[in-house]
Amino acid sequence: MRIPCPYCGERDSQEFVYRGDASPRRPEGEDGFYDYVYLRDNVIGEMAEHWYHAQGCRNWITVLRHTRTHRIAAATLSRETPA
Amino acid sequence: MTRFSIFNLATHALKGHRDWRPTWRDSAPAEGYDIVIVGGGGHGLATAYYLAKVHGIRRVAVVERGWIGGGNAGRNTTIIRSNYGLPGNEPFYEFSMKLWEGLEQDLNYNVMVSQRGILNLYHSDAQRDAFARRGNAMLLHGAGAELLDRDAVRKMAPFLNFDSARFPIMGGLLHRRGGTARHDAVVWGYARGASDFGVDIIQNCEVKGFLRDASGAVTGVETTRGAIRANKVGLSVAGHSSAVAAMAGLRLPIESHVLQAFVTEGLKPVIPGVITFGAGHFYISQSDKGGLVFGGDIDGYNTYAQRGNMPVVEDVCEGGMAIMPMIGRARLLRSWGGVVDMSMDGSPIIDRTPVEGLYLNGGWCYGGFKATPAAGRCFAHLLATGAPHDTAAAYRFDRFERGHLIDEKGAGAQPNLH
Amino acid sequence: MPEHLTIQERDDIALASVMARKSMSAAKIGTALGMSLLDRPAACGSGAVTFIGTGPGTWLAFHDGTAPDFAADLTHRLAGLASVSDQSSGYVVLRLAGEGARKLLQRGAAIDFHSASFSSGSVATTVIAHIGVVIRQVDDGPTYDLATFRSFAGSLREWIDHAAAALAF
Repeated sequence: MRIPCPYCGERDSQEFVYRGDASPRRPEGEDGFYDYVYLRDNVIGEMAEHWYHAQGCRNWITVLRHTRTHRIAAATLSRETPA
Repeated sequence: MTRFSIFNLATHALKGHRDWRPTWRDSAPAEGYDIVIVGGGGHGLATAYYLAKVHGIRRVAVVERGWIGGGNAGRNTTIIRSNYGLPGNEPFYEFSMKLWEGLEQDLNYNVMVSQRGILNLYHSDAQRDAFARRGNAMLLHGAGAELLDRDAVRKMAPFLNFDSARFPIMGGLLHRRGGTARHDAVVWGYARGASDFGVDIIQNCEVKGFLRDASGAVTGVETTRGAIRANKVGLSVAGHSSAVAAMAGLRLPIESHVLQAFVTEGLKPVIPGVITFGAGHFYISQSDKGGLVFGGDIDGYNTYAQRGNMPVVEDVCEGGMAIMPMIGRARLLRSWGGVVDMSMDGSPIIDRTPVEGLYLNGGWCYGGFKATPAAGRCFAHLLATGAPHDTAAAYRFDRFERGHLIDEKGAGAQPNLH
Repeated sequence: MPEHLTIQERDDIALASVMARKSMSAAKIGTALGMSLLDRPAACGSGAVTFIGTGPGTWLAFHDGTAPDFAADLTHRLAGLASVSDQSSGYVVLRLAGEGARKLLQRGAAIDFHSASFSSGSVATTVIAHIGVVIRQVDDGPTYDLATFRSFAGSLREWIDHAAAALAF
């Protein structure tokens, strides 16, 4: 699988470290913390997820990837990606 | 159904093996059952078998989307072991090992249980201490364990790379009762056993939703072969637990990842048992046909594709070359991938869910095969009595919320690191 | 006929990493240095100084010829605009030159090194044999500079020797 890094261009997934689903939001208080830490939608289909380009530009990237076909629809720098 | 004996084997052999009958019934769905198990893998079929045999519940159906044993039961590396360290785990896996040891007599089916031993190598003082502690936990639960020094390991497996500058082999933890079993035979043996008790095995039957009553309780499943009513529904659908549970509105502490496995061309016997590399992720055994069966890490990102990526192929082969350079000349025959439920602490769930009437057996990560007999037995116990089996009492659905995690690796809520 | 490849450690250079402070653009930093600076994986140069883009707002700055004050000078000129760290001893730079250099890199990194997509002025931050490297194509000879952390340089050199031997250079 090759990931189109917004800075470096298309790179092998081996250069990246995976963090997982980008959709959970840290809750304000204690309520919802269990959901945030432990529960996942684990979707079959397109999923926004965090990848860290450890062996490249060392930036966090938000990738929109299909979990069955691995087709990647978009990849943006996470800091520039609206939450 | 056909029971195997030396006499009927001889009789059929003389007739050229032309008259064998199917060993289990391929059923059409009835209108309703006491219990419907979703998923016709080893776990689902074992659950049905023990429901009928131990608890006398025979109005049971196993519904399977494809063919039985076509998921992870047919995609693993066939290792059975009872070498865990934590209190919530080791009693369960030891229970499973004891069931493996009597399984062939119980099922009257050769599942090729071979207790050829598992050797976990250690490469540092700290790792030896951790293995000693794990070995003690195993001894306390009757699993047996021996801490070997370097010379004893050399005697068992002289071909290993003992003097690697980075990860010299200092010794190993030997679990003699561990070994391998024939994955397909396990599925077929349980299928025949369950079928004999009257369990319906329904293939090509995909669950598309749940029947619910006014209170929200599950009262059956909606399938591609019509609605099937049930008093209780048990999920045993490794890899797809989240997707099926979502049909009942549940979110699970599980992510789906792919684990790859590999087999080489057949070779003369070279690997004495199962050997694992302690400083990288690589484990290997040799099948009875002679192929070296090996694997390593999961690919590391969520996926429902039953195929793996190249970097992990490279990583696994590098691990193999680091620990036993002699396998570098063996040619790889096949590789495959299975989609597994990676849970948030690396341990499974066998429990009722917050939805009345719906029960879950899932989150087995990359280690569900060795658990097959005990998972079936404990899930059957839960479905039949409503209470968890003693050895699976720690595998609760709400343990994450309560903070009672069973995290062998100490990796935290990061499924791709377990 | 074996293809030509020469390998040489460059000890005639000074290096510094430059990281833009928050909201400071490449243009502002370039103006302070009297050169045009791009915020992308490319080599931008002025005289003896070359900036190689290694990440958003991040560069590895090369100075051809030893210059003990290179980092101090950059720190002074970019005060308030960017953070500068001396990397002269942090990285080792190997110069690979000759027809064989391209083939060698093709074996090591999952980057397209064909001249149509990677040529003089192209740069990439990537990995060879698990070792992080910054690759810059210096000319179409082709000549490449490979920068890697000093403690990994021996391992990288070992990989280069193995790979070159396999290619029968």
